[in-house]
Amino acid sequence: MRLFFNRLTNLGVASWVCWLLALGSVALAFPGPERSGAFMARPVMQGVTAVLAAALLFCGLRALGRRRPDSALLHAGCACVLAGWLWGQHAVRTATPERPVNGSMAMVDGEVSDTLWSGPYLTNYVGRVSFTLKLERFIVEYYDQNGADRDAGRMPPVREYRSRVTVTEPDKAPYVANVRVNQPLRVQGYHIYQMSWGQTSDRMGRPMVYTVLQFIRDPGLPLVYAGFALLFLGTLLFTVRVFRVKPPELKGVAP
Amino acid sequence: MVKMTLQGGLIYLTLVLFVATAAAARGGWRNIARGFWAAGFVAAVASVTWRGLHTGHPPMQNLFEFFLCMAAALWPLSQWSRWRNGIDTDVQDAVLGALILFPAGFVFGEEVRRLPPALQSPLFIPHVGSYVAGYVMLARAAVMALPLMRTATDAALVRQADAAARQTAAVGFVLLTLGLLLGSVWGKICWGHYWQWDPKEMWSLATWMMYAGYFHFRLKNGVRQPKTLAALLWLGLLFVVLTLTWINLSRLFAGMHNYA
Repeated sequence: MRLFFNRLTNLGVASWVCWLLALGSVALAFPGPERSGAFMARPVMQGVTAVLAAALLFCGLRALGRRRPDSALLHAGCACVLAGWLWGQHAVRTATPERPVNGSMAMVDGEVSDTLWSGPYLTNYVGRVSFTLKLERFIVEYYDQNGADRDAGRMPPVREYRSRVTVTEPDKAPYVANVRVNQPLRVQGYHIYQMSWGQTSDRMGRPMVYTVLQFIRDPGLPLVYAGFALLFLGTLLFTVRVFRVKPPELKGVAP
Repeated sequence: MVKMTLQGGLIYLTLVLFVATAAAARGGWRNIARGFWAAGFVAAVASVTWRGLHTGHPPMQNLFEFFLCMAAALWPLSQWSRWRNGIDTDVQDAVLGALILFPAGFVFGEEVRRLPPALQSPLFIPHVGSYVAGYVMLARAAVMALPLMRTATDAALVRQADAAARQTAAVGFVLLTLGLLLGSVWGKICWGHYWQWDPKEMWSLATWMMYAGYFHFRLKNGVRQPKTLAALLWLGLLFVVLTLTWINLSRLFAGMHNYA
């Protein structure tokens, strides 16, 4: 086992591992996000990722032994990110209807719900969250119409989507909050996103606008973000180290 | 398409000044070349500034604006190289600038599109700005590695070119890392997940991995194989160019990054 990791983390092998990962990454760019994501969610690929994370951790520890803190941070950071992702994937596999990790609700103004759904038409029951959301109002704001819009005879583009909701958590006073694109709401471990919207009609045939809010819970996220911090710090220190090497003085020579 | 606008005029002025820089330096007029080079920078900054004022948002929304920013980033980075590595890269950078500005001047359209909600974020400028500066640095690293390609270069020259290329690539790598991580955090805030398996994400990760491979190789072999080092930096640049062009423009890679 030790020999295996020693071999895998040998510097010469490490460049090849990097190039191989680059190739794999390019290969996963072709099938598109859904199929690539599903491929990486397979148990085999989770296993490969786990081995890679262990090898990276091994590299980090060895770099620490060689007094190379930049390399140690970099590799440990990568290992953290992968471990955090694996943790998140584990949470997806072990999710229950009592504590779901990912689901959406479509709501019209005034609707109250605590139920999450999935699927292209949000028809598959996922589970319930421990708080309720009431949609006070869904608002779509447009940019002012300019000359180009008038010439083309079109609506100006959307400036903002916003869902005003009242959140009722158990044992807490209800409060009003806004969910916008780029501004998710955080409630009881869930991020709530303004994901989509659409038009439908009520029983009388009058048009109604609905909003789609997506709920995501990822217990691995803190580990991933910690990994990001380590990784970036390591890269910075690495560059500082590269710059300590003074280049030979050869002024005036064009490359 | 030729642009008969103030924006177009500024781009063409910058292009002419960049080409004049290279020509003057070739003719042996160093100081004149430096003057043209600095004037080209002023014109490039004016072009970016005008674009920002004209559109009313940071000029980083699409490839056209991205390329304008890259051209404006060249001069300061070039000055920094001379100060840091003692290498005069004015001519190479001016040529690089002309290559970057050519598509902005003659290929990409300059239609103004207002920012969709997904792009309204404080992370917009840092994420795209890191990539602008990072890609410029990586392109310059490849140019600096050119002397390593020559057969029979003396050892001191090899060491200098290698040090300059490696340091430039290291700065580019930091910026690439920053751009990738900020993009990831932004993805979490905007799309719900920090990694979406989006084609552009995958190509950016592949680019990052190529440079990681270069640094491991350099650490392992030193400057014993200068040609391979140069080839690796050019291969990395190929990934950058593909990420910028093919992945952005081809329908094959439709994904979450389809704003441009």
